[in-house]
Amino acid sequence: MDFSAVGAAAAEALTLASFIGIGGGVLLGYVVGVVPGLSRSVAISIAIPLTFYMSPYIAISFLIGLSKGTAAGSAVSAILLNAPGEASSAATALDGYPLAKQGKPKTALQVGLIASVMGDILATIILIFVAIPFARVALMFGPYEMAAILAFALVFIAGLSSGNVFKGLAAGGLGIFLGTIGLDNQTGLPRLTFGYTELMDGMPLIAVAIGTLALSEMFIQSEKLRYDRANMSVRLENRADDHITMPIFKRILPTIFRGTGIGTFVGALPGLGPSVGSFMSYGMAQKAAKQPELFGKGEPKGIAASESADNAVIPAALIPLFGLGIPGNVSAALLIGAFAIHGITVGPLLLRDNPELLYSIFAGMILASLIMLVLGWYGLMVFAQITRVPPHVVIPIVIFFCLAGMMLQGYGTFGLIILMAFALLGYLMKKYDYSFVTFLVAFIITPMLELNLRQSIILSRGNWEILLNRPIALFFIVCTLIALIALIIRTFQTDKAAAGAPVSE
Amino acid sequence: MPRSDFWSGLVVAGFGLLALIWMIPNYAGSNPFAQMPPGLVPSIAAWIMIVCGGIVALKGLVKLIVSGISPLTTEINWSAIGWALWPFLFVAVAIWFMNFIKITWFGAILIGLMLFLLGERRWWLILGCSVVPPVLLYFLSVYMMRIGVV
Repeated sequence: MDFSAVGAAAAEALTLASFIGIGGGVLLGYVVGVVPGLSRSVAISIAIPLTFYMSPYIAISFLIGLSKGTAAGSAVSAILLNAPGEASSAATALDGYPLAKQGKPKTALQVGLIASVMGDILATIILIFVAIPFARVALMFGPYEMAAILAFALVFIAGLSSGNVFKGLAAGGLGIFLGTIGLDNQTGLPRLTFGYTELMDGMPLIAVAIGTLALSEMFIQSEKLRYDRANMSVRLENRADDHITMPIFKRILPTIFRGTGIGTFVGALPGLGPSVGSFMSYGMAQKAAKQPELFGKGEPKGIAASESADNAVIPAALIPLFGLGIPGNVSAALLIGAFAIHGITVGPLLLRDNPELLYSIFAGMILASLIMLVLGWYGLMVFAQITRVPPHVVIPIVIFFCLAGMMLQGYGTFGLIILMAFALLGYLMKKYDYSFVTFLVAFIITPMLELNLRQSIILSRGNWEILLNRPIALFFIVCTLIALIALIIRTFQTDKAAAGAPVSE
Repeated sequence: MPRSDFWSGLVVAGFGLLALIWMIPNYAGSNPFAQMPPGLVPSIAAWIMIVCGGIVALKGLVKLIVSGISPLTTEINWSAIGWALWPFLFVAVAIWFMNFIKITWFGAILIGLMLFLLGERRWWLILGCSVVPPVLLYFLSVYMMRIGVV
């Protein structure tokens, strides 16, 4: 490890600009996380245009801080409203809300916060120690290996982020198709641009991300308002017996360590996401408990298990991103876009070409965790008030920032039309259960996949036997086929099980 | 669910077919000297959509037949469709307006009107929520990003 670069990174993380940028990201993330219906990916997609004027380090750290803040903030609405800000905090609500109803909302929030921060810091440390050696190994990979790994990741994400692998793959196919629009980098000729010069650079990533994630989500939220406008938040009061104590902390500590381990493992695998991590951690904590019957009735261990895993997933999802350049989830995919906007190629090359930036981002991530602790601890009362903001107030403001984000990017009316088209697409995908995660990840990694595939074909002159001399590539091709077959079997088994249930039209 | 699976699968497969027989041959370009033609990856994507969309549609159709449900229905909830549709139309009209007026200038009306349509009647809340975001955008674009009013 280059210690002078590490020292420089630590110094950069401790500057005022860094504090303001990262602190702003965490604060914004916290607020977004507290508001039910606004998710991490919505927040990142809207915030990317805000980072144009920032330095690459501040911009990426701001977005990672935002991501961490949303994970911690979503616990607040899960505990006080029983309406998790993110699906991954649903497990937190199982024990958080009953504990809040028992007159201990502050204890529940503090347990959630400490578990979040500890899970986050520990997973960040694991990321630092794993991503760098991982990237060193990945630097030895050629186009064969990269193409095979990308194909594997795509199939894995398609199968796991959607209950139906065929719908996941169909969404991935659409993402790949739209990802090929623009100038072909071999011939230099326009491809699938239909004569529009605006599409020469490809579909604008900001329009695709904001449209499918944020704007479509607002349309879905506004539709839900027709049926549900209730907002019943538990009040936070200053009571002497309502705070976390040392015995409670000692009780939840092993659960936090276990949750962090599970969250890190789940986060490092592409496609699984924080919801799987938090529920898996909750289930294992319940199994390991001496009194499992207390779970679901306000058990602090339940909150700690869910929150530590949820927050550990965020840094862990960056292991394949920094190590291989492969996004494991939507947030990581959006970070690739943010890196690209600042002219940086994320992946193992980042370690070789720009190690200072990588170390600075790691330092910024640790700083974000500490800021999250301070903000969460002292801002509990304020964040609790935000849960009282009705959803119909949030929708028009987010729509305004979606449109403004496109104008800040300078795309004009054409960009706005693309944005609207992708909002409609995202709405339909969410409505009919086609994985928009797979769609977006496929859209973002297609240029990389095509480049590696093209180089492989040129180098091998179309001779497939060359793969026999590339064991890693062959291994991932076999894994892709096995994963595909297993996921298809699982889809058919799920359908068979559902066949017994009454059919809804 | 089987009805929506059937139709959505059909649309996906149909789009893939359209891409394969019209878009790619006419707009993907060609390079006879390239070992990997520019249309290869889009064609693979189109085939994925055709096969997977086709399977989703077929599974939906089988379920419809087994359950005795018709693929079409006359029980359409127009009120629900209208409620789902109006935000799209609202934003589409706002985008059309943005051809003539910058979003910073008419952002307050955009937010305020939508708040009103969503059922908010407290004037102070409408005023606060509709004025603050455009002011923030103004400061961001003019003073921080220095690109002028957007």
